[in-house]
Amino acid sequence: MLDIIINVLIAFLFGSILLGFHRKVMARVQLRPGPPIIQQFLHSLKFFFKETTFPKTASMPFYISIVCILCAIWITAVIIGPVSKGSLLLMFAVYAVYKIVEHNAGSSSGSPYGKMSCVRAVFSASSELPLFAIIFIIYLQVGSMNISDIIAYQNIHGSLIWQLPLVAIVLFILILSKSPYSPFGITKGKDVISGYETEHFGLLRGYIMFSESVSWYIFSWLFLTIFFGDLSILLYIVGMLAISFLTGLINATTPILNPNHSVVSQISIALVGIVGSLLLMFIF
Amino acid sequence: MNEIIYLIYLLTFIIGSILGLLFSYKQHNEPFIYNKSDILVLIIAILAWILLIDSDILSSIVNPIISISIGLFLIGFVLGMRPGYGRYETLIGLIISIAIYGVKYFLL
Repeated sequence: MLDIIINVLIAFLFGSILLGFHRKVMARVQLRPGPPIIQQFLHSLKFFFKETTFPKTASMPFYISIVCILCAIWITAVIIGPVSKGSLLLMFAVYAVYKIVEHNAGSSSGSPYGKMSCVRAVFSASSELPLFAIIFIIYLQVGSMNISDIIAYQNIHGSLIWQLPLVAIVLFILILSKSPYSPFGITKGKDVISGYETEHFGLLRGYIMFSESVSWYIFSWLFLTIFFGDLSILLYIVGMLAISFLTGLINATTPILNPNHSVVSQISIALVGIVGSLLLMFIF
Repeated sequence: MNEIIYLIYLLTFIIGSILGLLFSYKQHNEPFIYNKSDILVLIIAILAWILLIDSDILSSIVNPIISISIGLFLIGFVLGMRPGYGRYETLIGLIISIAIYGVKYFLL
């Protein structure tokens, strides 16, 4: 239990710093000084002490419980990932539930922006889940979905990134789509204000920001562990900073795609990744 | 056990960043005008990076975990200052501490 609490705290604190760094990179690319890198953490803390108000249009028990579920699924991801090094299939399930929660968080507020984001969450689920489904290629290569087995495989055969480069690119696109101001971030595109988060205030917003930080840490951790094996703490830090830097650089220089373009682009990338990886595995 | 140590490192860095932010806002009320390095901040940055990179330097006095924590606290203090302040000091501190580390271990 203590192990879980400590890992969740690390995921939240380090995830916040990574998102703050991501914001800083975006700002520097756009020739702004940008906020300090602890700004994301300070924002999250701030919301925990703000007054929580509830919109009249909210469908009440659901509106609150969906935020609790959002927190719960990312804490579950910490348990499956860094704590127990469990199955990637469970991680896929967590991600699928996350997309449903994103959808329902938008619809439960009753706000038109939330509802628009809710519809877009379904669109994005149809494109992001195929991206995550590429983990079956990892299964074909390694023979197991367990993260601990994947690490053991890499200790013997070397890093998976050299054996499955297309899978790494596809999973990187998935991470990119979850980063703030992503070209694929249609559920939180600025044309729908903050998407499904628009009508969540105070404590509820604090929990959403907590979940975002944990999810960013988990995605970075998952990518590094799947493709580079069990790294030292210093290499994990460097890797996570590199992922945040790259996504920040891409997000600062690309516009947010419209939903149709975003979905088609992601599905195309998933298709190329899956077919290309199969060809590389079985033909060459 | 390792996770607790990482958590301590993270917390010291974050507390250092918050204190650095408060300190720099107190020191600089004016709009951002920056034309010289702050010597005190530069000394803190050099000390911080030395403590982090060469964490065994105080091993006869304190545990390396404590010296790394102090180093991270001070790095957070300098790096977390008001946007625009502390960045050159961080960079110069890093370069000087790497040079000192290099001289100590490869030349002496």
